Amino acid sequence: MGGPGSSPCASCKLLRRRCAKDCIFAPYFPPDDPHKFAIVHKVFGASNVSKMLQELPVHQRADAVNSLVFEANARVRDPVYGCVGAISYLQNQVSQLQMQLAVAQAEILCIQMQNEPTLQSHHQVLELDQDHKALLLQNNNNNNINNINNCNSNNNSNNLGYAMSSGQFNSNFASPSSIMQMQMQMQLQDPLKQESLWT
Amino acid sequence: ISQSFCIFLLLLPLRESEMNPKRCAACKYLRRRCPKDCIFSPYFPPNDPEKFACIHRIYGAGSVSKMLQQLPVQTRAEAVDSLCFEAKCRVEDPVYGCVGIIYLLQTQIQKAENLLAKTQAEIAVAQTKHSQTPKFDYM
Repeated sequence: MGGPGSSPCASCKLLRRRCAKDCIFAPYFPPDDPHKFAIVHKVFGASNVSKMLQELPVHQRADAVNSLVFEANARVRDPVYGCVGAISYLQNQVSQLQMQLAVAQAEILCIQMQNEPTLQSHHQVLELDQDHKALLLQNNNNNNINNINNCNSNNNSNNLGYAMSSGQFNSNFASPSSIMQMQMQMQLQDPLKQESLWT
Repeated sequence: ISQSFCIFLLLLPLRESEMNPKRCAACKYLRRRCPKDCIFSPYFPPNDPEKFACIHRIYGAGSVSKMLQQLPVQTRAEAVDSLCFEAKCRVEDPVYGCVGIIYLLQTQIQKAENLLAKTQAEIAVAQTKHSQTPKFDYM
């Protein structure tokens, strides 16, 4: 914390001002890590960060600062796409994994049918565990954009799961542009709040 | 009076030539003249004021202007779109912004990888079982 006799925080050092006792930045930008505030200031600006922190309850500010630092770092590394580039990359990974899962699922069904020749394959409902049922349901939602709007708004992972299983999200290697267009239309409700991302 | 009016009419096109016929959304928001070479005008058309308002709220006009100036012209449209996306995410989730989406995707990837490993193990078991059972000729 700033104040008489103690070292000013990194933000007040950079801004060349007196570090007040109730400096809003001091708890999150210690003087031994000047780069942290420098990068946030470069991308967002000190006054914007201050405003954002003031609008948040105290117990959420540390997480907010960490996410701002993350975003700022991503933007400096990739000035064109920033975090959206990372989202695009991860989305492609999810798509690939879903394809691999679908192939594996089909393979296991074939093997099961071969192992049980007495079954009428096209009439018999095979016993699937919960994970495989969820996967088939998710794959069946491909190319169905309406599911995004109908998904359960209280469940974050389902929100993104439905979004990602839609045709536009799951199509070959979503580009940052298409992700941005889709996400702009989505209602990202109830974002992850229950536990800190940083623990 | 008619002379001054004529002079005024003559001067009008000169003033208009200094700025875009219609101010871009950024200059409208900032309440300033929109010059011909306004860095914002190609990306913030006047019919979408919300786009610039959102970006300004999170990044500020100065930061965005600096960022765009440092980029080649052909990449600026994408940069603006990504900034808008991140700003919108931050407005909707002031604590995590778009980092929340990254976390969700990472969780999804982990779950999918676990499920894939489990399914592949089941395939291996099923294939072993299949190779051990006697085969019947259905033909």
